[in-house]
Amino acid sequence: MNATKHEVLQSNYLETSYFHDNVDSSEYIIEVKNLEKYFNGFKAVDGINFKIRKGELFSLLGPNGAGKSTTIRMLTTVLKPTSGDARISEYSLKREKNNIKSLIGVCPQENIVFDALTAEDNVEFVGRMHGMSADDVKERSKVLLEKMNIAGRKKPAKTFSGGMKRRLSLAMSLVHQPEILFLDEPTAGLDPQARRIVWDFIHELKTTGMTIILTTHDMAEADALSDHLAIIDHGKVIACGTVDDIKRSSDNGNVIEISFFSREELIKAKQQLEHVDSVKQIICGENNKLTISFAGGAKGFKRDILNRLESFKTLHFREDSLEEIFLKLTGRELREN
Amino acid sequence: MKAIELQTIQVDAKAIQTVDAKTVRKNDAKAFRAVDSKALHIAKKNVKEKLKNFGQMFWTIAFPIMMLIVYKLAFKDDDGSYIINGLTVFSMEFPGIVVYTIGISTMTSAVMFAMSKKDGTLQFIDTMPVSRGNVFLGAVLSETIFMNIQLVIVFVFGYALGAHFELAMLPLGYGIAMIFGVGAIGLGLIIASLLKSPEAANAFGMLTHMIFMFVSGSFFPMDHAGVFFTPHYWVKQVFLQLTVVGDSFSDLLYSCSIITPLSETTIFPIWVGLIIILAFTTAFIALGIKIFQRKTSL
Repeated sequence: MNATKHEVLQSNYLETSYFHDNVDSSEYIIEVKNLEKYFNGFKAVDGINFKIRKGELFSLLGPNGAGKSTTIRMLTTVLKPTSGDARISEYSLKREKNNIKSLIGVCPQENIVFDALTAEDNVEFVGRMHGMSADDVKERSKVLLEKMNIAGRKKPAKTFSGGMKRRLSLAMSLVHQPEILFLDEPTAGLDPQARRIVWDFIHELKTTGMTIILTTHDMAEADALSDHLAIIDHGKVIACGTVDDIKRSSDNGNVIEISFFSREELIKAKQQLEHVDSVKQIICGENNKLTISFAGGAKGFKRDILNRLESFKTLHFREDSLEEIFLKLTGRELREN
Repeated sequence: MKAIELQTIQVDAKAIQTVDAKTVRKNDAKAFRAVDSKALHIAKKNVKEKLKNFGQMFWTIAFPIMMLIVYKLAFKDDDGSYIINGLTVFSMEFPGIVVYTIGISTMTSAVMFAMSKKDGTLQFIDTMPVSRGNVFLGAVLSETIFMNIQLVIVFVFGYALGAHFELAMLPLGYGIAMIFGVGAIGLGLIIASLLKSPEAANAFGMLTHMIFMFVSGSFFPMDHAGVFFTPHYWVKQVFLQLTVVGDSFSDLLYSCSIITPLSETTIFPIWVGLIIILAFTTAFIALGIKIFQRKTSL
């Protein structure tokens, strides 16, 4: 009866979640239904549900041990679910996992490459396992390795740096042009420059219409890449939706500070913004500065303000980061083990 | 009335669950058995990996030559004192070298499978449309290629060092060695299933092989009944009698044709020995696949 603050917050998020969208179910390429996984009595995944639209990038966000990788390993057919099922394209995970294997590409968390083989041999092997012809696989491998900037290297993969192995692993997962790509912590252990290269490549992949499922414990990564995301903790989905949806549901409002060239401009702006639904409070400060508290996502609000205001001097946002929202939801830090 | 309805619903639900589980099991079994050209690509990948592995190449090429030289030096027959029934001791020990060389596949295959478990490549392959049947066949094919190289080296160098074998019976001896080799892979698979690290698989694979070599009397003849319980003994003895001594096919039909360390003859004809080798191979490979599947299908 006495729900904790976290439980109340979590239920708020789920009520505004993705499940209640009035979307035709045929738009979803993945539907996860009450998926559970036990390991010797320990519940690693606790009856999770979510849906993923075709062509979107969906992130599973959560701390280490939250159940993200176990979920991915079930969806990629490596682990058998204890109960529940998922529909991937038209196939049941439980009954038709062999059909699913042809649709998916997997870039595992660890750099799983065949160390003794060259980059080309690695990519070609995966292509052959997916039934590609020798000519097709050679051509595709050449394109991908050039894209990843590791073409023409004749040395075995064991001599590659971590970043190169990561890029090779990505190339291996893409050789057969999968409909659905699973990326398990794709930038874990990469330096900022290599991380940016991988992000740019993921952005590029999104434009091809490929559905991408990404796990991460990096809030910035989820924020930068995701169309939708699910926050997982203790094997349960505790929030699901767009980044803005999740931020909008936050009980603490975000704040924007705008300074104007004149008092007249400030008063005019105040009058215009008072009628905006998401605005909670407007404070007129010194030096022609307006401080506005608002609920919901910053991106949408920013667009709204820019459309309404004729001129202003400076504009500063201060919003709840996903990190802060995660903390509110779970009561613990994201990087906590 | 309500109770009956409830019961019907429960029975139906149970029936659906049973059918569902059966379908899943049937699909899994079908998928496991599916074997196609992907096994050849897996074998090709394994061969490429092995060719770049110094340890594997040592066991494949250097080790058989080393064993032949050691035996040749240990059983010099310069003064004729090492002649038994017209054959040198080196020739009589030659089958033991064949068994040792091929049996080392227990260790190499244990390391290969344990490595694929540890580095995640097995799970990675599991995400692709490839059956475990293809994975096992690919492994057996690649190991067999290296066994062939080992056997050719052993026969060529053995002949050059003076080992006697009947050329007409050589293909049969070769075949027996290969069948034994497949059994050795099965034993390696069992070891890899039960142990977590490739290092442990390496040590335990070698230990198992050495114990079998000693107990079977493959290094030097042993006078105890334990030899009959090792595949190594049967391979060595059948190979010796068919390929080195040169018993003909017709000898296979006679009872009491197998010579044992306990007496001159036994009640067994040689073909029983062949069946025992086949039985050991089938048992090891079937058990290996079963245990490996159980331990790695999560």
